Amino acid sequence: MAHPADPSVPPAIQCVGASKKFAGKYAVHGADLVVEPGTIHALVGENGAGKSTLLGMISGRLAADEGVIRVFGDQLHSSSPRDARRHGLVVVYQELTMVPAFTAAQNVFLGQLDSRGGMTLDRAMRQRYLELCRQFDVAIDPDVPARDLSVSQQQIVEIMRGVQADSRVLMLDEPSAALAEHEREILYRILDQLRAGGTTIVFVSHNLDEVLQLSDHITVMRDSQVVVSAPRSEWTKQSIVQRMVGKAVVIEKRTERHPLGEESIAVRDVTWPGVLDGISVTARAGEIVGLWGLVGSGRTSFFRSLCGLEHRSRGELTLAGRPVPWPRSMRTAVSSGVVMVPESRRHALVMGMDAVSNYWLGRRSRTRGLLSFRKERGDVVRDSAFFGFNTKRVTEAVRTLSGGNQQKVLLAKWAGYRPKVFLIDEPTRGIDVGAKAEVLASLVNLAREGATIIVTSSELEEVLAICDRLLVFSHGRVVHELDTRDGDVSVEEIVRFGFGESEAAA
Amino acid sequence: MSTTPQGGTGTVPQTPTPSGPGATPRMSDGAATRPGIGQYATRYSMVGVLVVLIIVATILYPGFLNPANIGNILTQNSAVGIIAIGMTFVIISGGFDLSVGATYALGAVLFAGLTIQTGSIVVAGIGAIAAGVVVGLINGVIVSRLNVNPFVATLGTSSVVSGIAYIYSDSSPFIVNDDPQFQDLALSTIAGVRLPIWILVIAFIVAALLLARTTFGRNIYAVGGNYEAAWLSGLRVKGLNASVYVLTGVLAALAGMMDASRLGVGQADVGGSMALDAIAIVVVGGTSLLGGEGAIWRSAVGLLILATLTNVFYSLNVSQHWQLIAKGCIVVAAVAVDAIIRHRKRG
Repeated sequence: MAHPADPSVPPAIQCVGASKKFAGKYAVHGADLVVEPGTIHALVGENGAGKSTLLGMISGRLAADEGVIRVFGDQLHSSSPRDARRHGLVVVYQELTMVPAFTAAQNVFLGQLDSRGGMTLDRAMRQRYLELCRQFDVAIDPDVPARDLSVSQQQIVEIMRGVQADSRVLMLDEPSAALAEHEREILYRILDQLRAGGTTIVFVSHNLDEVLQLSDHITVMRDSQVVVSAPRSEWTKQSIVQRMVGKAVVIEKRTERHPLGEESIAVRDVTWPGVLDGISVTARAGEIVGLWGLVGSGRTSFFRSLCGLEHRSRGELTLAGRPVPWPRSMRTAVSSGVVMVPESRRHALVMGMDAVSNYWLGRRSRTRGLLSFRKERGDVVRDSAFFGFNTKRVTEAVRTLSGGNQQKVLLAKWAGYRPKVFLIDEPTRGIDVGAKAEVLASLVNLAREGATIIVTSSELEEVLAICDRLLVFSHGRVVHELDTRDGDVSVEEIVRFGFGESEAAA
Repeated sequence: MSTTPQGGTGTVPQTPTPSGPGATPRMSDGAATRPGIGQYATRYSMVGVLVVLIIVATILYPGFLNPANIGNILTQNSAVGIIAIGMTFVIISGGFDLSVGATYALGAVLFAGLTIQTGSIVVAGIGAIAAGVVVGLINGVIVSRLNVNPFVATLGTSSVVSGIAYIYSDSSPFIVNDDPQFQDLALSTIAGVRLPIWILVIAFIVAALLLARTTFGRNIYAVGGNYEAAWLSGLRVKGLNASVYVLTGVLAALAGMMDASRLGVGQADVGGSMALDAIAIVVVGGTSLLGGEGAIWRSAVGLLILATLTNVFYSLNVSQHWQLIAKGCIVVAAVAVDAIIRHRKRG
């Protein structure tokens, strides 16, 4: 329920001319924003539009260079998350702010310990944690250290922390990006409940369906500025996209199909007790095979097993018709022509180094035994341009690049090995629509050049748009396989298999 | 073969329950995730080492478990043990303190010097402890406000503090021989146990509670485990960061007082190896140098392991030089074995 603008109640958040510069360039320029109390307010825009920076200024993580930020009428100390917190402002960050050594439960109560006379009330917190788990319909063991949780589990813990904080304003930066469909629904329900209880919610999202479904008010940012802010009723998906990019981009199903080559990889009976249960996958040169399944269904574990990263997994591997020993290390996998582009950009790239150094990390280009920086740079420019990277930025620290550009650097890095088989894990997670389309198109181009692509995504639509064949994972097994080259696939059927509700899974 | 994947530590496959919010998650049957024997073995491996060591010690040196011998071990190691407590806090918070040796020496000369000058051990004690607070504050401010790497910051203050101790004492020992009270701190007994042992044991118990059961302690772990996350969660990260140095400063000064009292003399040229001995105790116990992990009980185990070794070496008349070599090897080996076990568990 959207509050009518009542002059006696100050806005939950008010930014007037808020600006922030990084290295002399405006990341946010003169942003005006008003968030009414008790509403859900969505902040949308392409990556690099300035949403996270604006959120950072409001939360006190970043100091505003110009402008004023008020929370319920009070101006905040700049650069003090503690001050923002005292005003009832709590943020769930996109970059996960877990303490790796803390357990899941301890992480939920970070900065907000239940205590009496300075002593922590561990039993009460544990009880509260279990309640939160029930509320979120998840079973994350309270005693598991955060470092052993999957990305989506960490994200859920992080959201629990925000919900538990009993905030007046809850801000979430792409809360659903790492979540599976089922978990998103729960998140939406919880946000609805919080709003009903009077909490003001601001969230950043790339998922326009969820933006339209959840929010009372939508603000679009583009090129470091707030472009327009209007109530939900005035928006359609198309109009949001138009204001975001100036032009409409939709991920379309690929129409052109190139002929496929010989079988390039055959994996038989990959087993990892308790995690993977006899998975067999084959793929041909030029083929794109999509893997879809819920988070925890074994997609990532399967990839990691194929690269020798999981020592307890066993299986048989045949490459280009020749049986090869089961990989025992990333090194052997890469030298046999199989590479994995991992799920987490933050872990896969050295954020402080530039694209060139990241590309050559782990190997060097040599001319007569000496490093050749010019050649190194040239190779990076060539390979990253293939993925649509703006090659003028190859010498900028990867940290300063948007998620989409980071993903392109990561893809270029692994394409640089010229592998026969790519295992690509969630290449489009948390990147904007335009970059998504570019990344997906470049995967099709890779396949056209004869590479085999095995790709996962939590976004079923995206895999379906590009793959030739889809394998559905559930509980560590392949429960369904279907040809997606010619049109008609039943999304509902796929989802049902993914949720393990079909007889086929038994 | 079971077709339902059980939750390992890492990926707990989630069973989506269609029944919605009321559904009870599979939490209660935590059989798959409850720590097994293997995990306990990993966690308490250093306790095992200590037990084996004590058994070997009693075989090699039958008098080892005599109350008198145990009392001697604990008294001799009370100073380094108390410093190791502070060091545990600093290391868990993600820091390092190399200045404890110098502060220990300053505490010793101030306690002895002020006793001679004022005739009051109370004034002398307060003076020494205050000096510890000041050194700790300076360390804390340099590390948390000026963002100087703690290694460098405390290396610098160590040199400064040591210089001050030499200047104050004019490079000669303060010998306290006309004040029987001075030696009370080390020699008096309560219930038949010498005071330094009481101080050591009580300090360990209080520190263990402080670290494990209070918000302060939990927040120290958070700062060491992920400074950024702690800051974003609204913790007073700079204050927390500085506080651990104050704690080590105070404990180091107290340790200096105890040893000065025991020896009846306070001199500036002691404590040279104190910082590294304390760090050795902490790491042998199994606290990670990376911060965010560890425990006080671990340092107690580390202290007992190293103290037992020293005692056995002395009883077997092993020369000082060979002791150094053996201790160095044992410290590295203990930590290496620990790392291997932990890595295997995770990998």
